[in-house]
Amino acid sequence: MLVIIPALNEEATVADVIASVGGHLDADILVIDDGSRDATAERAVAAGATVLRHPFNLGVGAALRTGFQYARAEGYQIAVQLDADGQHDPADAKRLVDLVADGTADLVVGSRFDPNLEGSGYEIGRVRRIGMKVLSRRVSRQLGTTVVDTTSGFRAFSREALVHFADSYPSAYLSDTVEALLLAGDWGLTVVEVPVRMHARMGGTASSGSLKSAFHLLRINLVLSLHRVRRPM
Amino acid sequence: MSKLEIMLLVLAFGLLIFTVEIVRRRRLSENYAIAWMLVALVGVALGLARPLVDRLSKSLGIAYGTSLVFALAILFLVGVCINLSMHVSRLESRLETLARESAFLRGPMRPGPGADRPTGADRPTGQDRLEPGAEPDPAPES
Repeated sequence: MLVIIPALNEEATVADVIASVGGHLDADILVIDDGSRDATAERAVAAGATVLRHPFNLGVGAALRTGFQYARAEGYQIAVQLDADGQHDPADAKRLVDLVADGTADLVVGSRFDPNLEGSGYEIGRVRRIGMKVLSRRVSRQLGTTVVDTTSGFRAFSREALVHFADSYPSAYLSDTVEALLLAGDWGLTVVEVPVRMHARMGGTASSGSLKSAFHLLRINLVLSLHRVRRPM
Repeated sequence: MSKLEIMLLVLAFGLLIFTVEIVRRRRLSENYAIAWMLVALVGVALGLARPLVDRLSKSLGIAYGTSLVFALAILFLVGVCINLSMHVSRLESRLETLARESAFLRGPMRPGPGADRPTGADRPTGQDRLEPGAEPDPAPES
């Protein structure tokens, strides 16, 4: 099993995240340093991870695809994706992985919106919440399975899924999470969602801005509208 | 509706359909598609709301409404050109970075044994050989 951690300027947290993953999963850890200007790569290696470095920033989607290609080449049967900023609790990763390991699913999404889970700890602004609701409804309808948290970056992949995604994975912001679900559906992969806890970020800053968010939301809606009639990637 | 307005509408709808079609074929990224679809929609609006254009240009002190449309179009195209040159500049510097990385990955070529070796104090001893990977990274860009 391979845990893929895309990281950009996360020197403050990446070592703790790696240690935490090591404590919960028996897995190799691959950090994709996506053009960091700080000591992310050095900290990650010192903490025991394998590190691949992009020569400049390419975005989370591109970093993940690098990870999938590594996993494909090295013959890993399961891949787990989680954030380097400590938002995802590796203790939950086991539940994601189990569903892949027993063949229930090819792609398991860790959802941050579970009302039954105490202290799920994920709070967002109103515009973003409405946007995410729209995405959830549109994706769930096209996919035929309910996915509440379509933009979650806490996921587990089967060998079949990671081989497909190594070939084609959308690199644009939001497409890397949302459009990837539709692609999985196109390939006949089984998508399952599982509730997870969220931690507040241990460091770094959230990437947002309301005008930019609005643009990305418009963009991803265009992608969703055209997906069915579009030439495959 | 004048012939001019009908022509504008036809052109705008044509642009809209063309944009959607090249996105569908994955020849254009959605980011640019949104910009061009916006242009098409403005075109439709101008075709339908001629009085609005006339009133707007009058308030700006422009006697002939059409020249306002031209002025806006030129401004937009200048903006597009600047944006594209910025992208090309970034691509150039990224290409340079990649080419340099590729040079280090290929590794240095050195004269084999028996070849004419440089003489002098700065002759490579073999101990301070350049190893690929031992090289400092090119500065990452944002």
